[in-house]
Amino acid sequence: VNPDLDLTLQRVIRAPRAVVWRAWTDPSQLEQWWVPAPAVARVDRLEAQPGGAFVTRISDDGVEFGPHMDAAFLVVDDRERLVFTNAVDSRWTGASGVRTAAARHAASRDELPRGARRLSAGEPALPTVVLTVS
Amino acid sequence: VAQYSAQLDGVFVALADPTRRAVIRRLGQAPTSVGELAREFPMTLPSFLKHVRTLEANGLIRTTKSGRVRTCVLDRQRLALVEDWLTEQRRVWAERTDRLEQFVTDRTEGEQ
Repeated sequence: VNPDLDLTLQRVIRAPRAVVWRAWTDPSQLEQWWVPAPAVARVDRLEAQPGGAFVTRISDDGVEFGPHMDAAFLVVDDRERLVFTNAVDSRWTGASGVRTAAARHAASRDELPRGARRLSAGEPALPTVVLTVS
Repeated sequence: VAQYSAQLDGVFVALADPTRRAVIRRLGQAPTSVGELAREFPMTLPSFLKHVRTLEANGLIRTTKSGRVRTCVLDRQRLALVEDWLTEQRRVWAERTDRLEQFVTDRTEGEQ
């Protein structure tokens, strides 16, 4: 965590980690909290694996959906850690890049406080959101 | 929105260099002439002027010429775009995690 570059948000959520994990990885659940009402979110792709796509769309009226987020997962540790970035979009196929980024993020895991969800604006070149569940 | 996005891109480009960040910090104290600034940075004048031009092109500084002296002034409003953007990101994610918390809390209570 670099205080000069990272925006960190910590939340302790009193719920079983499996419930929190499902809220992030089940499209029908994510759609229910991802955007503020009355806007409606639709999950196009939610491939929770390194390099997997994370694409959501948003609508004001529930009829016409426009682009919302087009990102890719970097790290997915079941019920523990979710890292995605919109520095690359879902068309990205840099598999070796995923592994490098995943290794780099894994190396920094110990810096994160237990129970913290780190949401990072990252370096300007790599806006990355890191979620840690404990 | 497109203009705001382009301005923000420019600000981050300008900030993505230690020399340019140092110049911004220096100009935060007071407007300073290019010549005086150049003496404080250990690099060739052409290299330094390139940084000044980048800062000016991206709106972080303005320069005015009086006689043979060109003075650099920090544009604090443009620099504030970074803060606005960070504040907005913080708000978006704070509200999003509020909704996540509400969502999982409701589900957990529903199961009991």
